Amino acid sequence: MKLYLSTAPHIRSEQNTQSLMRDVIIALLPTTAAGIFFFGLSAAMVIALSVVSCVLFEYLWQRITKQPIRISDLSAAVTGLILGLNLPSTAPWWMPVIGALFAIVVTKQLFGGIGDNFLNPALVARAVLLASWPARMTGATAYAIPTMWSGADAVTSATPLAGYEASTMDLFLGNIPGTIGEVCKAAILLGLVYMLVRKVITWRIPVVFLAVFAVLSLLVGENPVVELLSGGVLFGAVFMATDYTTSPMTPNGQYLYAALCGVLVCVIRNFGAYPEGVTYAILIGNIVTPLLDKYSRPKLYGKPKKEKKEAKANG
Amino acid sequence: MAKNQKSLSSVFMNGIITENPTLRLVLGTCPTLATTTSAINALGMGAAATFVLIGSNTVISLLRNIIPDKVRIPAFIAVICTFVTIVQMVMQAFLPSLYESLGMFIPLIVVNCIILARAEAFASKNGVLASAVDGLGMGLGFTLAITVMGIIRELIGNGTVFGINLLGAGYEPMLLMVLAPGGFLVFGGVLAVANLITARAEKKKKDEKGVIHA
Amino acid sequence: MQLSNGCAIISGGILFIRATLYHLFNSERLVLYLPKYSFRGGIHPMHHEHEGKLPSRNVPIRDFVSDTVCIPMGMHLGAPSKPCVQKGDHVKIGQVIGEPVGGLGLPVHSSVSGEVVAIEERISTGAAPALCVTIHNDFQDEWVEGIKGYGNVETVDPSVIIPAIKNAGICGMGGASFPTHVKLSIPEGKTCDTIILNGAECETFLTADFRLMVEYPGKVVDGLRAIMRALNVKRGVIAIEDNKPEAVEAIRKAASGREGVEVAVMRTKYPQGGEKQLIRAITGRKVPSGKLPIEVSTIVTNVATAAAIADAVIDGRPLIDRITTITGCVNKPSNLRLRIGTIIADAIGECGGFSEEPGKIVMGGGMTGFAAPNMEISVAKASGGIVVYNEKKARSVEESPCIRCARCVEACPIGLDPYRLKHYCDKGDLESAKAHNVMDCILCGCCSYNCPSRRWLTASFKITKEAIALEARRKKS
Repeated sequence: MKLYLSTAPHIRSEQNTQSLMRDVIIALLPTTAAGIFFFGLSAAMVIALSVVSCVLFEYLWQRITKQPIRISDLSAAVTGLILGLNLPSTAPWWMPVIGALFAIVVTKQLFGGIGDNFLNPALVARAVLLASWPARMTGATAYAIPTMWSGADAVTSATPLAGYEASTMDLFLGNIPGTIGEVCKAAILLGLVYMLVRKVITWRIPVVFLAVFAVLSLLVGENPVVELLSGGVLFGAVFMATDYTTSPMTPNGQYLYAALCGVLVCVIRNFGAYPEGVTYAILIGNIVTPLLDKYSRPKLYGKPKKEKKEAKANG
Repeated sequence: MAKNQKSLSSVFMNGIITENPTLRLVLGTCPTLATTTSAINALGMGAAATFVLIGSNTVISLLRNIIPDKVRIPAFIAVICTFVTIVQMVMQAFLPSLYESLGMFIPLIVVNCIILARAEAFASKNGVLASAVDGLGMGLGFTLAITVMGIIRELIGNGTVFGINLLGAGYEPMLLMVLAPGGFLVFGGVLAVANLITARAEKKKKDEKGVIHA
Repeated sequence: MQLSNGCAIISGGILFIRATLYHLFNSERLVLYLPKYSFRGGIHPMHHEHEGKLPSRNVPIRDFVSDTVCIPMGMHLGAPSKPCVQKGDHVKIGQVIGEPVGGLGLPVHSSVSGEVVAIEERISTGAAPALCVTIHNDFQDEWVEGIKGYGNVETVDPSVIIPAIKNAGICGMGGASFPTHVKLSIPEGKTCDTIILNGAECETFLTADFRLMVEYPGKVVDGLRAIMRALNVKRGVIAIEDNKPEAVEAIRKAASGREGVEVAVMRTKYPQGGEKQLIRAITGRKVPSGKLPIEVSTIVTNVATAAAIADAVIDGRPLIDRITTITGCVNKPSNLRLRIGTIIADAIGECGGFSEEPGKIVMGGGMTGFAAPNMEISVAKASGGIVVYNEKKARSVEESPCIRCARCVEACPIGLDPYRLKHYCDKGDLESAKAHNVMDCILCGCCSYNCPSRRWLTASFKITKEAIALEARRKKS
């Protein structure tokens, strides 16, 4: 009889990295389905290419650098799916591939692989593509009007943030131009509920992000409902700001991070040069994350009061 | 001093490979990042810096016993300034378009670390000929590195090299590469490749010598 | 500063209202709807499997005596006792076979009558071998002469209680095995106003304390009264998690009419039975970092210890047996009253043997127990359970990189940041680890349990804590 020896604890929770990532993928499925429903097969092609190339790049890199192959943890697939949903359906085949290269190789693997990247890989890829081919990524030339109603194919238009007129219901259901994943708010909320129920994420980041953003929008004189339902703020707050690796670990840090993202989105939208600022807002939040982690450490049980006073006197 | 007995060819190669100012010493990163948006800009910058390096190294080496130690930095700067002014005026007269595109970065050669570093570390301690050769080697090393970067950035970011279209009309240039982030990305990539090559070469050398390393 | 004062007032208020309601409506049904005593952080291990307690939960305690016992001399924290019998001696139940050594020493009593067959070093409770006395049982069950109790805990002279506890060889039976008479000696300048009996039994799999409370609630309450009288304390609280309503009812019945005894229903959550967590939940006080509970005028002890104290005071009976849960992959999961020193192979045999190929045998619960190296080790005073895991569950899990999911930070009941701490511990950077409060870690295992990357967080902290303690000792000497 062979007895295993190990230190406590001898039981582990059933959640592991793979199951968490699988839950994120499941949460993204309604959004993916809605995107394909509105934008047709071209959207499916973009998403498929993005996922496949992300996984492939991860595999190749780990193979070349002789690391253990970790594609089965599904994190590359999640990155690929989020990247695909961040692209317009009119994107040519090479855009998701180049995006995947930047997401997986440059942002994730060069900084040490899963858990060590300081920026959200999918967002970096989006930022790179946005800076490189602005006309293909946004604006009237990139965004197709959902074809399911009009019947016409590949008509492109501006987004609601840049002057396209749409009813609130259309904004909510996704019958508007935009990137594949950001249009259908109903599907995103469905994903959010799933992730909260499965305890994949906590409510803190998405709720604080959106609340701060809505309140600020109201203060600068915009209609907060329309602002929340326009552009990628909902998708970003639910699926991208909540990325484990690049968001703070402590509750207080998460509040601050989410609030910062909300403020930045509002500032960039209303006072910046771009119509949409979710990408940059979250990336800036990512950069501040280590700082937030450092200064928002949880309160120690029974921390001596004397030490507190001393710290105050010193600081 | 045994050091001064180094052959001129080794002094020359030192600047290009072993102590390449951009890739090994990581000096002069400001012009490296700013002027490599196209191959021709990079080459022009490299040539200008090489000329200043040779000139300032030569003159400083000549004056090295006259300049008082305490004021040597201002003195070096004055010498460098002279040559930068010459370059600036010559370029403005004969290559106005290059002058336009390099703009601010020509006068900024004065504060380029490479030039001051060579003046301080080499020219003020070595003979005239060696100093001139060192300036030439360092200048060529700098030119080589930033021209490679310029070629990469121009090729990806514009589809051309030295203005010649290489990738055809169907190519959609990746704008990021000619923007500031592209500079950092390419610089990082070229540094990594250079480090990889040197590491490989050193390992090979060690293996040949039969050194056992853990 | 004002904010935190406000928070303190509000939370104090809530505690007060809660306590008042509790006293006014001392009924089972209402209590279930009231906010329950709890703490920050923590986890719900194996919640969907009723914390693994279901198989042995409703099995009544039964006695089991094996033909050989192997009694370790070092069952308590502190120096091991010195054997005072020879090989070949005939001993009776309750006879002292090990004499206390040093300030934290305790006597060890024979748990069976019979012949001493060996006194040797062997692996008993920890990883290092220790001296053990092996006794062959003659099943005569002869008690040693001169065992005399004081009859009733309410009438006994308070000054004899603590010596009786010491002579009975009682140490904390919840797992820490700290000598109880030392814990009950209040240092100069300190006071005590609350005794908490820990019947939370938040640890997975174990049901020994639960059965004890259901079947012998009187003993538990007597033990608590004995401690209260010995220290002249007016308030005694028995804390029970809300997944044990039968125990709550039994204890409440036994406690009715007893002076100063309360029952507190706690939310089911791990580590609800942690000393610091209990004190915070019940009294609202926080034990200062690096200090003992007596600092906030509170003493916490286990219900099993209280029952042993009742035996010692009323009957003068030394600690020779304890209730242990044997569960997991055994055919008949049971709660056995085992003589101290029973070999675990015998105990598992009594439970019908293995139901599957065993992969790991854990002494204690799933969260804090230690893995037994073989089947020959003995049940000690603090062994509350023997849990057998099958091959599949036992297999060591491989660490993968941290994905910064923050689950360890959420779970930590102490407020550490385990992910960062592990980084320092793995590097061997003791100074940084200390600065990040590794010494406050209670090794509850919540962070490791929650980690989706299966990282050995608690193991790292344990090693680091030991290394720091070793260094401190070396510096002293």
